[in-house]
Amino acid sequence: MKNRLRELRTKQSWSQGDLADALGVSRQSINALETGKFDPSLPLAFRIARLFGKRIEDVFDDELGHARKAAE
Amino acid sequence: MSGVTFKQANRRYRRAFIPAMIAYAIICLGGAFLFKSLDDPPVWASALIAVLTAAPMGVVFWLMWRLMRETDEFSRLQQAMAMAGGGMITAFACTVWGFLELYDVAPSMWAFLVGPMFLLNYGLIHRFAFQGPCEPGFGK
Repeated sequence: MKNRLRELRTKQSWSQGDLADALGVSRQSINALETGKFDPSLPLAFRIARLFGKRIEDVFDDELGHARKAAE
Repeated sequence: MSGVTFKQANRRYRRAFIPAMIAYAIICLGGAFLFKSLDDPPVWASALIAVLTAAPMGVVFWLMWRLMRETDEFSRLQQAMAMAGGGMITAFACTVWGFLELYDVAPSMWAFLVGPMFLLNYGLIHRFAFQGPCEPGFGK
Protein backbone atom coordinates (compact mmCIF):
# COMPACT_ATOMS: atom_id res chain seq x y z
CA MET A 1 0.00 0.00 0.00
CA LYS A 2 1.35 3.41 -0.97
CA ASN A 3 1.52 6.19 1.58
CA ARG A 4 2.67 9.79 2.03
CA LEU A 5 4.30 9.23 5.40
CA ARG A 6 7.80 10.32 4.40
CA GLU A 7 6.49 13.43 2.67
CA LEU A 8 4.33 14.43 5.66
CA ARG A 9 7.13 13.69 8.13
CA THR A 10 9.77 15.72 6.30
CA LYS A 11 7.28 18.59 5.95
CA GLN A 12 7.22 18.71 9.76
CA SER A 13 11.05 18.43 9.85
CA TRP A 14 10.75 15.28 11.96
CA SER A 15 13.25 12.46 11.89
CA GLN A 16 12.03 8.87 11.75
CA GLY A 17 12.94 8.64 15.43
CA ASP A 18 10.80 11.70 16.28
CA LEU A 19 7.80 10.20 14.52
CA ALA A 20 8.42 6.81 16.13
CA ASP A 21 8.48 8.43 19.59
CA ALA A 22 5.30 10.37 18.86
CA LEU A 23 3.51 7.16 17.87
CA GLY A 24 5.15 4.93 20.52
CA VAL A 25 6.57 2.53 17.92
CA SER A 26 10.08 1.58 16.80
CA ARG A 27 12.07 3.60 14.25
CA GLN A 28 12.27 0.38 12.23
CA SER A 29 8.47 0.39 12.04
CA ILE A 30 8.49 3.89 10.55
CA ASN A 31 11.15 2.89 8.05
CA ALA A 32 9.18 -0.24 7.09
CA LEU A 33 6.03 1.85 6.65
CA GLU A 34 7.76 4.50 4.55
CA THR A 35 9.40 1.96 2.27
CA GLY A 36 6.14 0.06 1.82
CA LYS A 37 7.45 -3.09 3.49
CA PHE A 38 4.75 -3.03 6.13
CA ASP A 39 1.08 -2.05 6.13
CA PRO A 40 -0.17 -0.66 9.45
CA SER A 41 -3.19 -1.93 11.35
CA LEU A 42 -6.29 0.25 11.26
CA PRO A 43 -5.69 1.66 14.79
CA LEU A 44 -2.10 2.65 13.90
CA ALA A 45 -3.22 4.12 10.58
CA PHE A 46 -5.77 6.25 12.47
CA ARG A 47 -3.10 7.40 14.95
CA ILE A 48 -0.78 8.38 12.11
CA ALA A 49 -3.51 10.25 10.24
CA ARG A 50 -4.62 12.10 13.42
CA LEU A 51 -1.03 13.05 14.23
CA PHE A 52 -0.76 14.85 10.89
CA GLY A 53 -4.32 16.21 11.06
CA LYS A 54 -5.36 14.26 7.96
CA ARG A 55 -7.87 11.60 7.00
CA ILE A 56 -6.58 8.05 6.58
CA GLU A 57 -7.14 8.14 2.84
CA ASP A 58 -5.04 11.33 2.64
CA VAL A 59 -2.08 9.42 4.08
CA PHE A 60 -2.59 5.89 2.76
CA ASP A 61 -3.73 4.87 -0.67
CA ASP A 62 -4.31 1.31 -1.82
CA GLU A 63 -4.26 0.17 -5.44
CA LEU A 64 -8.05 0.51 -5.67
CA GLY A 65 -7.83 4.17 -4.68
CA HIS A 66 -5.15 4.75 -7.31
CA ALA A 67 -7.25 3.11 -10.00
CA ARG A 68 -10.29 5.16 -9.00
CA LYS A 69 -8.32 8.41 -9.08
CA ALA A 70 -6.86 7.53 -12.47
CA ALA A 71 -10.33 6.85 -13.85
CA GLU A 72 -11.69 10.23 -12.68
CA MET B 1 -1.39 -3.74 22.58
CA SER B 2 -0.75 -2.87 26.22
CA GLY B 3 -0.22 0.68 27.42
CA VAL B 4 3.55 0.24 27.16
CA THR B 5 5.54 1.92 24.39
CA PHE B 6 8.03 0.08 22.20
CA LYS B 7 10.98 1.52 24.13
CA GLN B 8 9.51 0.65 27.53
CA ALA B 9 8.73 -2.90 26.38
CA ASN B 10 12.29 -3.41 25.13
CA ARG B 11 13.78 -1.95 28.29
CA ARG B 12 11.63 -4.26 30.42
CA TYR B 13 12.69 -7.22 28.30
CA ARG B 14 16.43 -6.48 28.48
CA ARG B 15 16.27 -5.70 32.19
CA ALA B 16 14.90 -9.18 32.91
CA PHE B 17 16.50 -11.19 30.08
CA ILE B 18 20.13 -10.58 31.03
CA PRO B 19 19.72 -11.59 34.73
CA ALA B 20 17.75 -14.68 33.63
CA MET B 21 20.57 -15.81 31.32
CA ILE B 22 23.19 -15.13 33.98
CA ALA B 23 21.08 -17.14 36.44
CA TYR B 24 20.82 -19.95 33.87
CA ALA B 25 24.60 -20.09 33.45
CA ILE B 26 25.21 -20.04 37.21
CA ILE B 27 22.52 -22.64 37.98
CA CYS B 28 23.77 -24.91 35.16
CA LEU B 29 27.27 -24.95 36.61
CA GLY B 30 26.12 -24.93 40.25
CA GLY B 31 23.56 -27.69 39.67
CA ALA B 32 26.10 -29.95 37.96
CA PHE B 33 28.59 -29.31 40.77
CA LEU B 34 25.94 -29.98 43.45
CA PHE B 35 24.77 -33.17 41.72
CA LYS B 36 28.31 -34.53 41.53
CA SER B 37 29.04 -33.62 45.14
CA LEU B 38 25.99 -35.54 46.42
CA ASP B 39 26.64 -39.19 47.19
CA ASP B 40 23.74 -41.23 45.81
CA PRO B 41 21.18 -38.36 45.85
CA PRO B 42 17.48 -39.23 46.27
CA VAL B 43 15.33 -39.03 43.15
CA TRP B 44 13.44 -35.99 44.45
CA ALA B 45 16.73 -34.08 44.93
CA SER B 46 17.89 -34.93 41.41
CA ALA B 47 14.51 -33.92 40.02
CA LEU B 48 14.57 -30.67 41.97
CA ILE B 49 18.04 -29.78 40.67
CA ALA B 50 16.92 -30.61 37.10
CA VAL B 51 13.75 -28.51 37.29
CA LEU B 52 15.52 -25.57 38.95
CA THR B 53 18.22 -25.66 36.25
CA ALA B 54 15.58 -25.44 33.54
CA ALA B 55 13.55 -22.73 35.31
CA PRO B 56 15.47 -19.69 33.90
CA MET B 57 14.77 -20.98 30.38
CA GLY B 58 11.08 -20.92 31.23
CA VAL B 59 11.51 -17.34 32.44
CA VAL B 60 13.19 -16.41 29.12
CA PHE B 61 10.28 -17.90 27.14
CA TRP B 62 7.81 -15.97 29.28
CA LEU B 63 9.81 -12.76 28.71
CA MET B 64 9.68 -13.37 24.94
CA TRP B 65 5.93 -13.86 25.20
CA ARG B 66 5.53 -10.65 27.23
CA LEU B 67 7.69 -8.70 24.75
CA MET B 68 5.49 -9.92 21.92
CA ARG B 69 2.38 -8.70 23.73
CA GLU B 70 3.86 -5.32 24.62
CA THR B 71 5.92 -4.31 21.59
CA ASP B 72 4.64 -2.45 18.51
CA GLU B 73 2.86 -4.29 15.72
CA PHE B 74 5.75 -4.36 13.23
CA SER B 75 8.14 -5.79 15.82
CA ARG B 76 5.42 -8.23 16.92
CA LEU B 77 5.07 -9.48 13.36
CA GLN B 78 8.84 -9.94 13.13
CA GLN B 79 8.93 -11.71 16.50
CA ALA B 80 6.05 -13.99 15.55
CA MET B 81 7.63 -14.93 12.22
CA ALA B 82 11.01 -15.55 13.85
CA MET B 83 9.43 -17.68 16.58
CA ALA B 84 7.38 -19.67 14.08
CA GLY B 85 10.40 -20.16 11.81
CA GLY B 86 12.73 -20.96 14.70
CA GLY B 87 10.20 -23.41 16.15
CA MET B 88 9.70 -25.16 12.82
CA ILE B 89 13.42 -25.51 12.11
CA THR B 90 14.02 -26.83 15.64
CA ALA B 91 11.11 -29.27 15.43
CA PHE B 92 12.27 -30.50 12.02
CA ALA B 93 15.88 -30.89 13.18
CA CYS B 94 14.69 -32.87 16.23
CA THR B 95 12.46 -35.05 14.02
CA VAL B 96 15.36 -35.84 11.69
CA TRP B 97 17.63 -36.55 14.65
CA GLY B 98 14.95 -38.77 16.22
CA PHE B 99 14.79 -40.95 13.10
CA LEU B 100 18.59 -41.03 12.91
CA GLU B 101 18.53 -42.34 16.49
CA LEU B 102 15.80 -44.86 15.63
CA TYR B 103 17.91 -46.31 12.83
CA ASP B 104 21.09 -46.30 14.93
CA VAL B 105 22.81 -43.67 12.82
CA ALA B 106 23.17 -41.02 15.51
CA PRO B 107 23.63 -41.13 19.28
CA SER B 108 20.85 -40.13 21.66
CA MET B 109 20.43 -36.34 21.83
CA TRP B 110 20.23 -34.43 25.10
CA ALA B 111 16.70 -33.03 25.11
CA PHE B 112 17.73 -29.96 27.12
CA LEU B 113 19.50 -28.69 24.00
CA VAL B 114 16.13 -28.09 22.33
CA GLY B 115 15.58 -24.79 24.20
CA PRO B 116 18.93 -23.21 23.29
CA MET B 117 18.58 -24.59 19.73
CA PHE B 118 15.20 -22.84 19.40
CA LEU B 119 16.69 -19.58 20.74
CA LEU B 120 19.56 -19.83 18.24
CA ASN B 121 17.25 -20.48 15.28
CA TYR B 122 14.87 -17.75 16.41
CA GLY B 123 17.77 -15.28 16.73
CA LEU B 124 19.21 -16.13 13.31
CA ILE B 125 15.83 -15.78 11.57
CA HIS B 126 15.08 -12.55 13.41
CA ARG B 127 18.44 -11.13 12.35
CA PHE B 128 18.54 -12.22 8.71
CA ALA B 129 15.05 -13.02 7.39
CA PHE B 130 13.43 -9.61 7.12
CA GLN B 131 14.81 -8.07 3.97
CA GLY B 132 11.65 -8.14 1.86
CA PRO B 133 8.00 -7.10 2.28
CA CYS B 134 6.62 -7.92 5.70
CA GLU B 135 2.94 -6.98 5.80
CA PRO B 136 -0.17 -8.95 6.71
CA GLY B 137 -0.61 -9.69 3.00
CA PHE B 138 2.96 -11.01 2.88
CA GLY B 139 3.69 -12.88 -0.33
CA LYS B 140 0.74 -11.47 -2.30
